[in-house]
Amino acid sequence: MAEMWISMGPQHPMTHGLWTLKVKVDGETVVDTEPDLGYIHRGVEKICEARDFTQITTYCDRLCYASANTWSHAYIYAAEDLLEVEVPERAEYIRMVAIELQRIASHLMWLGAYCPDVGNLTGMVWCLREREMMMDLLQELGGSRMHYNFPRVGGVKRDLPIGFALRCRAKLKLFLDRIQEYEAILDESTIFLVRTQGVGYAKAEEMINHGVSGPNVRAAGHNYDVRWAHPYSVYDELDWEPSVERPSIKGSDCYDRYRVRVEEMRQSALMILDGLDKMPGGADTYHEPGDPAILAKAPARAAEGQTGYHHFEDSRGESMFYLAGGGEGRGKHPYRVSIRSPMFITIPYAAKCMIGYKIADIPAIMGSFDPCIGETDR
Amino acid sequence: MAKEVSAKQALSAAKEIVKDVSDFGDAVNAEVRHHTGGRRKNAYVYIEVVASEWRELALWLKNSKGVDYCSMVTGIHWPENADAAWQVVVHLLRTGVTNPQIVKKRVHETKVDIAALSGNSVPMEFEISMTVPDTREPSVPSVADIWVGADWNEKETWDLVGSDFAGHVGMRRVLLPHDSPTGYHPLQKQHKLRYHDFNEMYDDPQGFGRKPEDSGRVK
Repeated sequence: MAEMWISMGPQHPMTHGLWTLKVKVDGETVVDTEPDLGYIHRGVEKICEARDFTQITTYCDRLCYASANTWSHAYIYAAEDLLEVEVPERAEYIRMVAIELQRIASHLMWLGAYCPDVGNLTGMVWCLREREMMMDLLQELGGSRMHYNFPRVGGVKRDLPIGFALRCRAKLKLFLDRIQEYEAILDESTIFLVRTQGVGYAKAEEMINHGVSGPNVRAAGHNYDVRWAHPYSVYDELDWEPSVERPSIKGSDCYDRYRVRVEEMRQSALMILDGLDKMPGGADTYHEPGDPAILAKAPARAAEGQTGYHHFEDSRGESMFYLAGGGEGRGKHPYRVSIRSPMFITIPYAAKCMIGYKIADIPAIMGSFDPCIGETDR
Repeated sequence: MAKEVSAKQALSAAKEIVKDVSDFGDAVNAEVRHHTGGRRKNAYVYIEVVASEWRELALWLKNSKGVDYCSMVTGIHWPENADAAWQVVVHLLRTGVTNPQIVKKRVHETKVDIAALSGNSVPMEFEISMTVPDTREPSVPSVADIWVGADWNEKETWDLVGSDFAGHVGMRRVLLPHDSPTGYHPLQKQHKLRYHDFNEMYDDPQGFGRKPEDSGRVK
């Protein structure tokens, strides 16, 4: 049969954002793919060069609307590496709570978007319902609904509000019960299993060579996680272990990638409950934006050519910020900000992953890698 | 059971690599560096390499040292420094990820015993820097065939910064529009942000101080 190229996108229901997937098909079988990105490229890296170290956090929030807090924290850890800043232990605990709440919210957003991809609208409504609880908790911390701008160089925006731990525990306990409801409607739904099992096989070593990391690799049977491999924050003091799936001999399929994210939500919820118990009493957690204590030292600490970077476990894989200091000439501004987006590297791999499957499998395979175009295009 | 890679494990693994890398002679300078922020200050390996030796070093890292993951490729433009006007920084990770073992026809997922990690199995961060003197067509060797993860990173670096990668197949615009003018790479420093006067903008990023006299200017 004659082969032909079909252009999927930039707008159709599956894409989770604006991007084009060019698919070469032979009959109904996919024989080649070519992703085309950059529809919402904002030039964040360039904009950051004109902002001081404390102002950049705001832009990092906007890298990914589904996972704002993990991105601003990824930046903050890199900035602290460059500026040689120590953080009070209580602030590290509060950050951990914020990051893990955001991870749950992000995975819920993913599951909520993935369910309609494979024909289950109920799942979407349920997931967005639970996501509201996480958004409310994050709103208590950051003050806004989507873009919290919560971390500060050297601390966090504000201490936990009164009664936060109480509400957080109650909501997470309710949430842990609700996870079982998702499992009940998805794991026992024949339609869901048929759409996800046995499609989109990916092997762990191949994914690592392609630069894919995070939940996608853990679904393929290895518990690699930046949180223990290149440790930061207080994860060593918490009772947790990275969730890992047992794949088939052919690698992980879409179902494994769904399972690992559900397990990760459970793991994150337990981590927060544990962290709330272990959180130490109030050291100074607060830093104003543009805090003179931080910024006055910036030109000397961030000398020209001095660099700081940090590998971070984002909800979608390993993210990273690399900052080069501007020195005296540029004062408080970085000379170059470089952002590693996990999805920018994963989308080309996911596109390769579809080769050999049917057109109808494309949404199931693409969605299972959790694409987010905001961070991809930067 | 250990919950994370300890500072001691990371330091000894980094030292081992720096010791072995000295076989390359003058073309490669390696040192152990430490992160300076946060609570742990873990060690990582920093390597400066002559661009022409980069591929050889990359192959050695991959084959002898188990470096299996290319995290990021960054280009930096330093127009004031004619000897090193173009810098390319590569961040690599050694993850140690393997396919799960198959025992008696059953797949067993890997749960790493972190305390027992030593030598080449310790996860490690690498920062590799190379510079190119001032030229209109900066280029360093591509490693996209060694780590496929470098492929799109190199495309992005060429697209935004303009550093080319010799041997890279299928270089094209990925973030900018496909019909962007040839030679236009926005992260080069001759492209100023929003206003023409660079320093003025840096002194007053919000632009409050210069609104009146700016009114007649073209953006």
